[in-house]
Amino acid sequence: MMKSIATFFLSCCLIASVRADIDIDIIIEEGMSMARPVAVVPFNFSGTSARPPHDFSAIIANDLRRSGRFNPMAYNEMPELPTDYRQVEISKWKERGIEAVVVGSVEEISQDQFRIQYQLIDVFKPQAGISAEQSLLLNKAASTNTRSFRFVAHQVADDIYEALTGIKGAFATRIAYVTVDRSLATPYQLVMADSDGYNRISLFSSEEALMSPVWSPDGKSIAYVSFENGRSEIYLQQITGQRTMIAAFPGINSAPAFSPDGRKLALTLSKDGNAEIYVLDLVTRQFRRLTNTGPNVIDTEPEFSPDGQWILFTSDRGLRPQIYRVSVHGGRAERITFEGEYNASASYTPDGKSIILVNRTDGVYHIAKQDVETGTLQILTDTMLDESPSLAPNGTMVIYATIQNGRQVLAQVSTDGRFKIRLPAKQGEVKAPAWSPYLIQ
Amino acid sequence: MSIKGLGKSILITLPALFLFACSGSDTDTTPATTDSQTTTQPQVPTGPTQAELEAQANAKMREVRTVYFEFDDSTVKSEYQDLLKAHAWYLSKNPAVQVVVEGHCDERGTPEYNLALGERRGNSVRDILMSYGVTSAQIKVVSYGEENPANPAHNESAWEENRRAFLKYEG
Repeated sequence: MMKSIATFFLSCCLIASVRADIDIDIIIEEGMSMARPVAVVPFNFSGTSARPPHDFSAIIANDLRRSGRFNPMAYNEMPELPTDYRQVEISKWKERGIEAVVVGSVEEISQDQFRIQYQLIDVFKPQAGISAEQSLLLNKAASTNTRSFRFVAHQVADDIYEALTGIKGAFATRIAYVTVDRSLATPYQLVMADSDGYNRISLFSSEEALMSPVWSPDGKSIAYVSFENGRSEIYLQQITGQRTMIAAFPGINSAPAFSPDGRKLALTLSKDGNAEIYVLDLVTRQFRRLTNTGPNVIDTEPEFSPDGQWILFTSDRGLRPQIYRVSVHGGRAERITFEGEYNASASYTPDGKSIILVNRTDGVYHIAKQDVETGTLQILTDTMLDESPSLAPNGTMVIYATIQNGRQVLAQVSTDGRFKIRLPAKQGEVKAPAWSPYLIQ
Repeated sequence: MSIKGLGKSILITLPALFLFACSGSDTDTTPATTDSQTTTQPQVPTGPTQAELEAQANAKMREVRTVYFEFDDSTVKSEYQDLLKAHAWYLSKNPAVQVVVEGHCDERGTPEYNLALGERRGNSVRDILMSYGVTSAQIKVVSYGEENPANPAHNESAWEENRRAFLKYEG
């Protein structure tokens, strides 16, 4: 097992105020042996300021490392420090086994305006007679300002990731989660941060519990459960702040889930006796009851399929909680999990081929993946009391909540189960992570 | 000793007190006239009346307001029948009093399933109170799922304390 701390800033331009503004560290736990060796050479900076707002190339390198697919070379091991592809001596990288090299520059063109240029070079492609240009996988430019600087760096990392893997990158995304710090006057906070933990913003804080945040498909709002009025109620809050109550019926108001088109919200209500699945049309504000299971049964945790035609949910109609699937139009629900004594909190991967869920076998809770076609179940995690799995929009990683050293923290696992990351909290406990969709900024 | 253990030891002594109060009330109700007769008799300084004794015994018993559950289960254990009977006795005698039955779970299992499980535990307690004559208008069930643990630690003894229904009086 390989353990290494992926520090955010490898260079000296560490900005203390930003650093203090993150809740979590990122510790790579397992799976780096599978990672492909690459190099992100420090970008050249030119401008009137002493330094750029952030270390652009370090953000890229850390994103690539956190994906589990790449192992970026340390700066001090690099054979040369080119900042343009024409300066790269391919042989120097080839003999060190580096597969791809990223070079680039950040130019401050005016007050708070930066121009980024970068190239991605395929080290093993050039044959005799092939020009430097032909070994370029990417040769791009972008412009940004201080506020969007990190986001643009994540977008560049997304492009590099896609060029090297064929899979769309999901670094320019956000994570929402709930923090609990009982030493504070308002112990519960709904927080939003970049996928690497930076740019932490508290969206709502409360004396009472907060649960189940989920992103709208446009990435502009979050639905969640709040106990601010002494019981569970569902709210919809835009990330800019505006907040509306969605459901506050007698009984529980729980487990909101957006339809892929963002027009509907599936949710759990017990206003008619027991916990059943309902669908709220967000345009007409009409509620429609989807399941009709009856007294003393729990139906909850609805989740839409990627095509919007099915809803997965958890039901204990067969005594133990298991996953069922029902058409969005209603009708008979079909049980789809059979392994283990408890399966819950299910969601489809974006390709619809697998289901990520919480499985309990012999009293042990882990995140698992079930193949839709074959029904084969693969346990992905080996941590303790794993729950609340949420998939990256490209389906490669799952973020979830777990217990580590007596505290609830977040962790990540790749959907093939090979790569594992711990995200220990700086203070208090962290739970209920929700990965945003792809964002456009 | 855990909170749960403490609750149990109080329970062992209290049902006896309450049974006394109950049998007292049974004999008390038969001749309604005896009360007025006794008042005419020359009085030694008056002690508490039978009704007051009952109320005191009941109040003592109702100091226990938590019912604990088995893991992943919402059945109220038989050992809590007398306790809930005591609460029901009080509520049916005081129809203006409202009780909130808070349902809670330990942290194992998903938070969303546990929110529903906490409600089911609250409903189990509500149903028993109603079987002893409390009206549904007096009882409100609120589930907190695993969100408000009595003990926030992540271990077996904390989980035992957290799987509970709590009777919270209002008004």
